[in-house]
Amino acid sequence: MKNLSHINARGEAHMVDVADKEESRREAVASGYIQMLPATLALLVDGELPKGDVLATARIAGIQAAKRTHELIPLCHALPLSNVEVDFQIDETHSRVRVSATCRLKGRTGVEMEALTAVSVTCLTLYDMCKAVDKGMIIGSIQLDTKTGGKSGDYRRVADDEQIVTASCGDGEIGMPSRRSGLRVKCLAELRERLGVHELDIEFDELEVANIAGLKKALRNRDSRFSHLSEQRILCAVNQVMGSDETPLSDGDEVAFFPPVTGG
Amino acid sequence: MNRVQQTPFDPGEEQRALTDGRTDIGAIVSFTGLVRDFNERPDVTGLTLEHYPGMTETALADIEDQARRRWSLQGVRIIHRVGRLSPGDPIVLVVVASAHRREAFMACDFIMDYLKTRAPFWKKEHTHSGHYWVAERETDQRDANRWEE
Repeated sequence: MKNLSHINARGEAHMVDVADKEESRREAVASGYIQMLPATLALLVDGELPKGDVLATARIAGIQAAKRTHELIPLCHALPLSNVEVDFQIDETHSRVRVSATCRLKGRTGVEMEALTAVSVTCLTLYDMCKAVDKGMIIGSIQLDTKTGGKSGDYRRVADDEQIVTASCGDGEIGMPSRRSGLRVKCLAELRERLGVHELDIEFDELEVANIAGLKKALRNRDSRFSHLSEQRILCAVNQVMGSDETPLSDGDEVAFFPPVTGG
Repeated sequence: MNRVQQTPFDPGEEQRALTDGRTDIGAIVSFTGLVRDFNERPDVTGLTLEHYPGMTETALADIEDQARRRWSLQGVRIIHRVGRLSPGDPIVLVVVASAHRREAFMACDFIMDYLKTRAPFWKKEHTHSGHYWVAERETDQRDANRWEE
């Protein structure tokens, strides 16, 4: 039988010491929904609610919440998340907004609490943004869908009744959004115009080394124009977080290359 | 609430929204950046601002977060426009509210320095003699580095 790792030998709550655990790539996906009146959902979709762009606001709230999970859950560690994504799916049949959150990290502890927190706070923000017109909304089914990496191994939620109904999509992917495979590469601003490339996809196994330097080399092998990516002034972001040549990559990542920023 | 938008903004309205119904705020510092008609060339007729949707919002939230960790602030609002702009148009707004003036002055200065060197926006200037992407300035980087010490 598994023990509760947050309870010590005397039965008291304690934080798990992770200093000696191996670093590994970890990912967790959680989901949930908020159910509302069809009229509320219609206002939300049309952007006509009094508080403005509901989904964009709720997305930022979810991302911010994931980063602050350790401030909310007493025994959670502060984690340097490499990526947080919050996605929405409008389910008109059930009059729901389905929320899913993906958190990623290379580290010593899992990110399922971060993904669950992101979904919870996204749903709460959706409630806050819509409550002026609908106070009877219900938040439900907040759950961990998948978790990969770490000693306790991978986890994938077994399809529940609701998902069996839609099980025709088959083998192990029941009810789950399928993750994109390969790397999505974007070139922005002056770099896009200079290279004549905006977006391209590259197979993950074209990389000899799974990091940014490896990606640059694989792109150079495709076309010599991409040697410009190695200029010192060119910056990069992995899943929208600033990175460098050593930043590790995994299948499904989004990588952007761009010149120094000039806003303001 | 920070925003990235194509439409103009009204600094007065944004400041009122930040202080609405509150009497604990003692100081507001507001910075508005405008499009100049001279920069790398003397005859700028307009500019186009590009950004990296998704990362931009995260970067602005992160800059706000860092400012809030450094100073005791009662409100922050960052608005940045994107798309095609003309000389004289407002391009960026930072409004900071705090109990006392020093925090608000410092935080507003900090947010602009970090925004100019960390938020993924790029300017392309249009002139009578052609269009070009604006080059980064070493002075902006130096300004941002002041806060590291």
